[in-house]
Amino acid sequence: MRLALQIFHRSNARRVNTVLSGLELFRAVDRAEDSGETYPLNKTLFHIVERLLIKSSKSSRNLKFLAGTKVHAEAFIYYMRLIVVSFIVVSAVSILLPDYAAAQHTFSFSGTIKNAETGEALIGASIFVENLQTVGTTTNAYGFYSITLPQGTYVLRIQFIGFKTGEDTIVLDRNRSVNFDLTPEPIKVGEVVVSGERPNTNVTSTEISVNKLEVRDVNAVPVLLGEKDILKTIQLLPGIESAGEGNTGFYARGGGVDQNLIVLDEAPVYNSSHLLGFLSIFNSDAIKDVKVMTGGIPAEYGGRLSSVVDIRSNDGNDKEFGATGGIGLLASRLTVDGPIVKNQGSFIVSGRRTYADLFLRLSSDTTINRARLYFYDLNAKVNYTLGGKDRVFLSGYFGRDNFNYPNFFGYNWGNTTATARWNHIFGDQFFSNTSLIYSDYEYSNTVGAGTSQYDITSGIRDMNFKTDFQYYINTENTVRFGVNSIYHTFLPGSITSGPTSSANNLTIEHKYALENAAYISHESELLPQLKLNYGLRFSTFSLIGPANIYSYDVNGDITDSAAYGSGSFIKTYTSLEPRIAATILLNEESSIKTSYTRTAQYLHLLSNSTTTNPSDLWIPSSNNVGPQYADQVDLGYFRNFSNNEYESSLEIYYKNMQHLIDYRNGADLQLNPTVESLLLFGRGWSYGAEFLVKKKYGAVTGWIGYTLSKTQEQFPEINNGTPFSARQDRTHDISIVVIYNYSNTWTFSATWVYNTGNAVTFPSGNYMIEGRLVPYYTERNGYRMPAYHRLDLSATYTINAKSNLNFSLYNAYNRANAYSINFRQNRTDPTKTEAVQITIFPIIPSVTYNFNF
Amino acid sequence: MFYFLPLLIFSSCQKVVTIDLNNAAPHMVIEGVVTDQAGPDSVLVSKTGDYFTPALTFPQVSNAFVTIFDDRGNGDTLKEASSGLYYSSALQGVPGRTYTLKVTAEGKEYDALSTMPYKVMIDSLYATPLREFDGDRGFTVYVAFKDPPEQGNYYRIKPHVNSLPPDSIGGGRYLLYSDKLTNGNEAVYQIRLGRNVNAGDTVTVELLSLDKATYDYFNTLKDVLSSDRSPTSLSPANPTTNLSNGSLGYFAAFAIDSKRIILK
Repeated sequence: MRLALQIFHRSNARRVNTVLSGLELFRAVDRAEDSGETYPLNKTLFHIVERLLIKSSKSSRNLKFLAGTKVHAEAFIYYMRLIVVSFIVVSAVSILLPDYAAAQHTFSFSGTIKNAETGEALIGASIFVENLQTVGTTTNAYGFYSITLPQGTYVLRIQFIGFKTGEDTIVLDRNRSVNFDLTPEPIKVGEVVVSGERPNTNVTSTEISVNKLEVRDVNAVPVLLGEKDILKTIQLLPGIESAGEGNTGFYARGGGVDQNLIVLDEAPVYNSSHLLGFLSIFNSDAIKDVKVMTGGIPAEYGGRLSSVVDIRSNDGNDKEFGATGGIGLLASRLTVDGPIVKNQGSFIVSGRRTYADLFLRLSSDTTINRARLYFYDLNAKVNYTLGGKDRVFLSGYFGRDNFNYPNFFGYNWGNTTATARWNHIFGDQFFSNTSLIYSDYEYSNTVGAGTSQYDITSGIRDMNFKTDFQYYINTENTVRFGVNSIYHTFLPGSITSGPTSSANNLTIEHKYALENAAYISHESELLPQLKLNYGLRFSTFSLIGPANIYSYDVNGDITDSAAYGSGSFIKTYTSLEPRIAATILLNEESSIKTSYTRTAQYLHLLSNSTTTNPSDLWIPSSNNVGPQYADQVDLGYFRNFSNNEYESSLEIYYKNMQHLIDYRNGADLQLNPTVESLLLFGRGWSYGAEFLVKKKYGAVTGWIGYTLSKTQEQFPEINNGTPFSARQDRTHDISIVVIYNYSNTWTFSATWVYNTGNAVTFPSGNYMIEGRLVPYYTERNGYRMPAYHRLDLSATYTINAKSNLNFSLYNAYNRANAYSINFRQNRTDPTKTEAVQITIFPIIPSVTYNFNF
Repeated sequence: MFYFLPLLIFSSCQKVVTIDLNNAAPHMVIEGVVTDQAGPDSVLVSKTGDYFTPALTFPQVSNAFVTIFDDRGNGDTLKEASSGLYYSSALQGVPGRTYTLKVTAEGKEYDALSTMPYKVMIDSLYATPLREFDGDRGFTVYVAFKDPPEQGNYYRIKPHVNSLPPDSIGGGRYLLYSDKLTNGNEAVYQIRLGRNVNAGDTVTVELLSLDKATYDYFNTLKDVLSSDRSPTSLSPANPTTNLSNGSLGYFAAFAIDSKRIILK
């Protein structure tokens, strides 16, 4: 393998050299040539990217002629440079590939695996080569795969859960394009029929702490008010905890709600909730695949500390037109899709809206019937295949929450994303995806009406360029690398007021930052029993002018201020983030896996609550606020039973987090130009064991997850500097999910959850101020909420192939779970004090009608 | 304000529960006030008690040595009138001066500084019947005052209705106002008085001009007194105090202007 890499590198470097002469990056490669040392491929590429990122940002600073628009020019030049260089590197490499392949007398077959009925690319489908037990691969996020083998005749077997197994015999005498269409399998009812071997990728892959959620599970799991929600369903996985009842916010292995990277079709989403966290912005009709990573995070992901939720949306049916939808108690949804050109391109448009406000309109009260309370979202996407090697996607998401009470106040907020993506396959082994992404989050709050009205707005805006390459060298080696560059604009808040408003116009200075990353990883089968996926992510973050920058002392008082001009680099952070995962295969059914992950987070969420809120503020790292870092190690034992019908795993992890953020008491975060002075910095750590048993096949499917964990934090200014339990420290967390396909018409499901109550701060005494009793606190999070448990039931009745009715029962045994516990003076006898528990979700039945035609 | 939504959709249920709380060792609490009104000014020195023991049995701290001096050396040693309650005899606050409180009790010394801001006057006080929703009863009282041109003015508004017991309105809620977003402008603060206020009642409104430390204290006190904390609220903490040596409570010097109207 190493020899192969050396050969690859040497021929490659020479060619790259000639192709790129004139570009400064050649020097990096050149140096390797001159020294004659055996320069590993990844180091070279790393060097190239490093030079690109660091050098280019420095040298382009000299562009004086563009003074006025310097930052934009700089960003633009930077992007152009990345695109050009990436393209040249890739072209050069692909030119070389035939040479290299011929030298080895190998050929590749590659292609895309799709759903035969809809043309949707299948993500994570397994491709095995018969008689070569260890040879196999899975399709990537675009359904692409590539396998390189010596000349010969091979039988390929393709498997994907919920689909009939595909098989084909391939004579490999040249590079071949082999596409497969798999036919969906009707859900099995009653007796289980074992049809051939099932994939054991969960045992053999290097993925650890990774859970893939099947959309069919999301659809079957009972939910509050019948609103299927991906971010609520993932809370049933081990290592993921709900941030509050009925809330889409979640904690991953002790990390905060702002430490989760939620990516929709390559675009990071800043605020993933509607209705104040009650529902996520992801309309499940538009979702194809969800992957949740809480450990062993691969090098291609970065920017958040604790987890990655990678969500891929449907591409749309490229064979025939169709529509699906649902009518629920809270919202209705409709999705329309169809071909643009049959088998070549398709579109999908998916919308959803709530209608609580339609009932308000029925009110005779003129104030109430003019009130607005709704959200909607719209996903739209087109894709088109150009020849066999290129595919382009254009997609957008637009969502708004609207909450207006005319003449008094209004809140509006939402995300907008627009993405252009281009898949290109170089040769047969080299897959690339390049994305240009625009993303923004906006919040506005209107107070009053007419001339005395004033509006408060805040938000964040991103321009994001990303390119990723996957090079399937041979059956033992895959190299992935890429670059990502994001230009952030922070809009911390502004007020626009009417002429008679008492508020002044005010705009808190916008902030600008450039976040760059380059990564390379190598997945390698060193021995038939040992797989390794090691990689390195190099990331940089620069706060860019214009800006007025303050320095603060320990009390948060300003000690110094400085003005920076447009385009000046105020503060730059760089981080090396190693990502390593190894799998030792004990046999076909069991393995031991381990990983080490370092992650860096440069953006910080400031919030008045512990979950996400519409008015949340993202702020950049700066001279006052450093990046957050996390180091995590984990070790797991994976074991399958009964021909992979059951999967089980036991994982233990330890995570150390640095530079976490908390607030000074009474911190006023909104519209505050010196908001950084209100922050406190500390550290946190979390460790635990996660146990999962999953039944994937048969009439009854589901899983049992159990997490035993401990999470603590320490801040010098809080709790007298002694460590305290994090709010999300839940010792025990159990989730049981059972889905039973009883007959062709009835499907039943049940979930049961149990967790230790949150760590909370309760008073340990009281005292009198102005004749009122005031609680006295002695320690942070020294108490516990009562344990939480709940059973949900659901039954789906299939009326016909086109429609079904879903009945669900939330909190079936009507457990009075504590939403909050407050301490107060008794209303009738103020000399008495009492603790009052509030329960907000009793037993709640609901019915939803779903259809497709 | 963001959490009423689920409450709106579902009928929530409340019940009194038994929680086993720790009993912290008694801790010093000092509440001292100097105003520009005719005296006496008072300082209450007490201690914390157990949360669930009936109130009004707080340990009061007697035999403390309590003084208040301004930055020109004028001052007073306060005399203990009843257990733990100390009164001044010859002190009346003057806006613009900085006052120092010193309390020596049980072998420890506690002190605090507070500057009395220049007094902001109520320009006008008027009321209209509440009519946001059909069937509303009660009144909205408007307190108009002119914020001075310099940034950094802080206020507390204290309403009182003659037909109701003291502190029964605006009771648990501290009505606070800062000029952070409205510096230098005419401010109109609205107080909503509910259905137990009727035409004919007299409403007295006091406008207290506070320094920042006092405003911060009341603001954080308001947080811990709020009884509608949701599970996503940040962890509660003791209010930020200007007292030294770890004492709870506050020392504030503030100027008061007041006006009254009769509701029609």
